[in-house]
Parts: sequence; C-alpha cells; structure tokens
Amino acid sequence: MFLKPPRGPRGTAAWRISIWTTLAFAFGSALAFWIVYLLVEKGVRERSDAWLSGEAQTLAEVSQSTPPGNLYDRIVEEVAELATNEVPHDRNARGQQPNSVFFLQTDSSVPDDTPIWVGPDSRIAFQKAIQQANLTPGTPESIQVEGYPSTFRVVVRNPSPGKALYLGLADQDAMRLLHQLTDSFLMVWGGTVVLGFFISYASARRTLMRVEQITETVARIGSEELDERLPESPKADEISRLAQTFNHMLDRIQASVHQLRAVTDSVAHDLKSPVTSIRGRLEAALSDGDPNRLEESVGEAIEGLDRLSDLLNTTLDLAEAEAGALRLDRTPVDLTELITRLSDIYQPAMAERRHTLVLDLEDHVVVNADPGLMNRTLSNLLENELTHLPEGCEVKVRLRAHDGAAELVILDNGPGFPPEIGSRAFERFVKGKHSPGHGLGLAFVDAVVQAHGGKISIADSSTGDAVVQAHGGKISIADSSTGGALITLSLPLSALQSTAV
Amino acid sequence: MRLLLVEDDLAIQEFLKRSLTEAGYQVDVACDAKSAEALAVEGAHDALIVDLGLPDADGLDLIARCRAQGNSAPVLILSARRSVDERVLGLEHGGDDYLTKPFALAELLARLRNLLRRSSAPQGESVRLQAADLQLDLIRREARRGEQVLQLTPQEFSLLEYLTRNAGRVVTRTMILDHVWRMRIDPATNVVDVHIYRLRSKVDRDAMRPLIHTIRGVGYVLKAA
Repeated sequence: MFLKPPRGPRGTAAWRISIWTTLAFAFGSALAFWIVYLLVEKGVRERSDAWLSGEAQTLAEVSQSTPPGNLYDRIVEEVAELATNEVPHDRNARGQQPNSVFFLQTDSSVPDDTPIWVGPDSRIAFQKAIQQANLTPGTPESIQVEGYPSTFRVVVRNPSPGKALYLGLADQDAMRLLHQLTDSFLMVWGGTVVLGFFISYASARRTLMRVEQITETVARIGSEELDERLPESPKADEISRLAQTFNHMLDRIQASVHQLRAVTDSVAHDLKSPVTSIRGRLEAALSDGDPNRLEESVGEAIEGLDRLSDLLNTTLDLAEAEAGALRLDRTPVDLTELITRLSDIYQPAMAERRHTLVLDLEDHVVVNADPGLMNRTLSNLLENELTHLPEGCEVKVRLRAHDGAAELVILDNGPGFPPEIGSRAFERFVKGKHSPGHGLGLAFVDAVVQAHGGKISIADSSTGDAVVQAHGGKISIADSSTGGALITLSLPLSALQSTAV
Repeated sequence: MRLLLVEDDLAIQEFLKRSLTEAGYQVDVACDAKSAEALAVEGAHDALIVDLGLPDADGLDLIARCRAQGNSAPVLILSARRSVDERVLGLEHGGDDYLTKPFALAELLARLRNLLRRSSAPQGESVRLQAADLQLDLIRREARRGEQVLQLTPQEFSLLEYLTRNAGRVVTRTMILDHVWRMRIDPATNVVDVHIYRLRSKVDRDAMRPLIHTIRGVGYVLKAA
C-alpha cells in the first residue's frame, strides 16, 4: 500500500530540491557575472579608446609643430613612453610590458621616407597588419598582429596629406583584467555552488526528515491505534502546522469512530428490540390460529415496522445532514403560517393530554428554507413536547423577526430536560432514561437548523438565569416561575423580509 | 387499466404485482430498464410504476427515454432514498408522483388512482358527496348524518370530506396529513388518531352503524359495513 522509503540520498525530495536550488543559483549568479563582465569590458574599452584618440591627436599636433629629425623622434618617443605610463587601467604592467604600446609614423609625400617607430622590434608585422586593416582616421579599431596573442586597438591620424600617424595599444591589459575577474569569479562561484548545494541539501533533508517522521507515525496510526499523535514542535512553521492539522484530523476521526461505535451499538439495540417483539407477535399469532387475534397481531406488527422504518429514515437523514449532504431546496417559507398549520394538527393531540398550546406569533416571518425540512423540524419539536411532557402542561410558542433572524422560542412548564442529558441534547441517541423516542429527534433538528445557517439552543428555564441567557435579554416570554424546558431556535430571515423590516 | 411495473427486487415485484392485480389492474412487469423500454414502446400502458434503482440504468433516464419516444403515460416513481432527488421533485410538478420505500400499499393505490384520474378526462367536480346515510354539501360546508346536521369545525369537515371522497378505500395517516393539511410529515405520535377520534365522536356518535373504521397498522376507512 505504501511506497517504500527511498534508499540513499538520490531518491529523496531533499536531493531534488537541492539540485534544483543549486542549479538555479548557479545559473543566476553566472548570468549576473556575465552582465558585469560585459559592462566592465565595455567600460575598459571605452576608456582605452578615449585615451588612444586623445593621445593620437596630441601626437599629430606635435608632429605638425615639430620639424622632423632627432628632436621629433625623441619627443614622439617620450610621448609614447609617457603614454604607456598613462594607460589608465593597468599600473602593474608598467615597464614589464614594454610592447603594450606602439607608435608608427609614415609619410608617403617624402620619397625616401623612413617610418618613425616606437614599440616592439617586429615593426614589419605591425605595418603589415595595419595595411591589411584599412583603418578610418580617428576611429579606434582592433587589429590582429602576427606573433601576438591579444589584439591591438589602433587609431590613425592624418595630420597632413600623405602623412599617417598610428598609435596602438595592446588589448592584453584589458584582457588580463577580465581574465583575472573571470578566474576569481569562477573560483568563488564554484565554491559557493558546492557549499550552497550542501547547505540546501542539509536544510531540506532536515526539514523533510520531519515529514518522513510524520509519514511513519501516520502509517503506524493507520494500521494500529488511533490514540497516537504526532509530535508538535513549538515552531509555527508549515510542517508544525501539518502535524497540528493531522492531529486535529485524528482527533476528529477518533471522535467519529467512537461516535460510530456508539451509534452502531444504539442502532443495533434499537433495531433488535422491535424486531424481536414483532417476530414474537407474529409467531404467537400464527400458532394461536384465532383469526381475530391474527388481525390484531398483524396490525401491531405493521405499526412496529413503521416505527422501525421511521428510525431508519431518521438515522439516514441525520447521517446525510451531518455529512453536509442535505440538499436544500430553498424557497421562502412563512414560519408563521407553517406553525399555525402545525398547531392545527397538534392542538387536538395536545388537548387530549390536557396541554395548552399558546401561540404568540409575529405575522409573516419568512425564512429562506427547505419547506419539507422545515415542516419536519418544527413537527419534531412539537412532537417532543407531546411525547415528553407529563399531562396538563402549558407550551408557549413565540416567533419574532429580530435582528435579521427569525427567533422561535418554545417553552414549557414541564420538568425540563433530564439532568443526564445536560448539554448533549443535540447528540445522536442521547435521550432521557424514560424517554420513549430513540434520541434522534433533536439531533436531526440541530443538523437541519445548522444546514440552514441557523442555531438552536436549549436551556432549563427552571432557574430564571437560563431564560435570560438564552435570550440574550432580548426576548423573554416567560417569567422565571414557569420552569420547564426552553428551546430557542434562530434562522436567518429571507432577503426579502430583512430588507422590508 | 394496464400498468407497467419496473422493479428489480423480485420480492417487492411479486407482492406489488399480486396486490395490483387484486385491485383490478392488468400488470406487466420488467426487471430492468432495457426490457421495460421494450415493453413501454408499445404505449399500451395507462401508467408506469418505476423503481429508481435499476440494475442497468437510472430509473429517471428510463422515464426520460420513454418520454422522448412519445410515451406520455403518468409515472409513479418508487425510491429507496429518503430524501428525494430534486429531479424527481421536478417530475412531480409535471404531473407524476413518487413514493419512498417503505410505503403503505393503500398509499400506492391511492396515488395510482390519482395519477390515472389526472391523466384521463377530468370529471365534473361534484358539490355533494354521499356515503351511506352521510351527506356532505361542499358548497355550504355542511355535513349530515341522516337527518341530523353535524357540528364540525372546518378542519373536521375537510377530514371528513377526504374520507368520504375515498369512501371504501383505506387511507393512511400520512395521506391524511398530506391531503387535509398539505404536510408531508410522518409523526411518531398519535396526532392523526386524535383528529379521527374527535371526528368519529361526532359522526358515529348516535349511529347504530359506525362509518369510520380503523384498519390496524394501516390507517382508516370510511364505509357503511
């Protein structure tokens, strides 16, 4: 029935969670680094290009104002040297990388021109690369020089016709910077990713171990006893809440199982005795052979069966109501009219037992309810009075529309609810010792009232306090001297009526 | 009158068939929706009695299919469920009726009669009812036993009217509550008996021959004998 717990870490959810977390983290941080990398690269290039353009401009101006010759060569050399030192981004490379800058000046207007060259020895390779590149004056561009791993950014200036001034800067400084950046990032990144994986695995594992624990406990509860409960840690996190919810669920299940056992016992008892008596009667009638007795016995048997079927029906109704499966076919129900009709039905039977039924009903108290269920609920309540009261009592029924609710109060001056019932009057099969019913009536009434969004309460009005409590001081139909049982029922008024009032 | 009884429980089917035949109906039976449909297609039945829980289909679907095929015979639905499906209630408004199991045979027969009466041409509503020496004037709401006018309350008159309309037929307590007070409830107490007792004390008080009889375990019948 249950899946086997996974062997080793690879099958666990903790493993999957940490893998995915780590992947997401690694990807995200790599992406962030890549963006930084691009920005740095762009910044470095812009700065070196700005430097190149500026220096080339200066050199062009110097070459115009200074006559060619040794002096000029020296000036150029110094400028180039200075320039090398001024390269903004890599001070460490100063001196160690003499070939990071080159300067070349050619003049095609002079027939036997010797180009001025400051830079690494391999001038020919540079010249060749420059010629191939076909540069636009003033715009720095990258060229690849044979024998050098990194590219050079080169800018060309034409101070006078035929004269060309090339200033170049090796990209390798920028590249080195970026390489360093990348290397250190990779180191830190790799470390973080591995560490992050272990941390997230450890924490996920720790958390999910608690889930595993819950699983084991629940599996044990399922197969053994319902008494066991999950340990609840004081932390109010999701898993604690899961454990709490499970415990609450178990409480409820245990309660319903107990109730079910009690109900089964009661039903069995309530079914067995009538079945036994019906069977006995029929058997006696058969062996008797007297046709007159036969008729009577069969009649009695049918009555017994009717009571049995009534018990079955009520049990089923109640089960349905308690499972929240009651289908409510709601229409406006005039409680005033309904109670009046019911009292027409019950009045003679009440009078027979010398009860007085006193109605005090407000006109047209309309609730939105299922008419059939309302009929049965209210008849059930009157039935209760009829069954449980000793002869000669007074039953007062008062109906009021009050605070958006229909309030029905039924009060009698009988002995009140038996003490053994206490607050459990609305539970199934709870009935007084001498009650002839099966203890389902009030439970059914309660379920129906609740399904309609109303509430019902009972009290013993033998003490004056109970009356006041039950009515919240709003309705009082009885002076406390009357005593007896008091049932207060309240149902939401139908929308029509609440707006009208 | 020919009826089609669709019921899969053989015990119930057997007893219903016997009772309906005794009551003077011609009864065809079917155990499942398929054979029922085949029988219903002939359209020879005056009414259908259909149990909802059939082995091969939902009884309501069977009814819907019969209706779709133009069979307009009234249907009496038997349901094992206590709280009746809304769809059944919908049908009831359409002129059909339902009963929940267990039911009194008297009630089944009464509902069946009611359905058959509704489906045939309406009879002229009479203003007088008579059973033996009991006479009811429905307009003046006056009842007489022989020469003597009975002093009845409006409720007692309605009750007597219902019994007289069904003179010779057994009516159950549930039927009385339903027809006289328009309440479908099954009281566990003797509320209806008290009403009958009071009525009887007026109707049968001085008479040599009582009219209102108790049928133990079933209900009441108004008859001369």
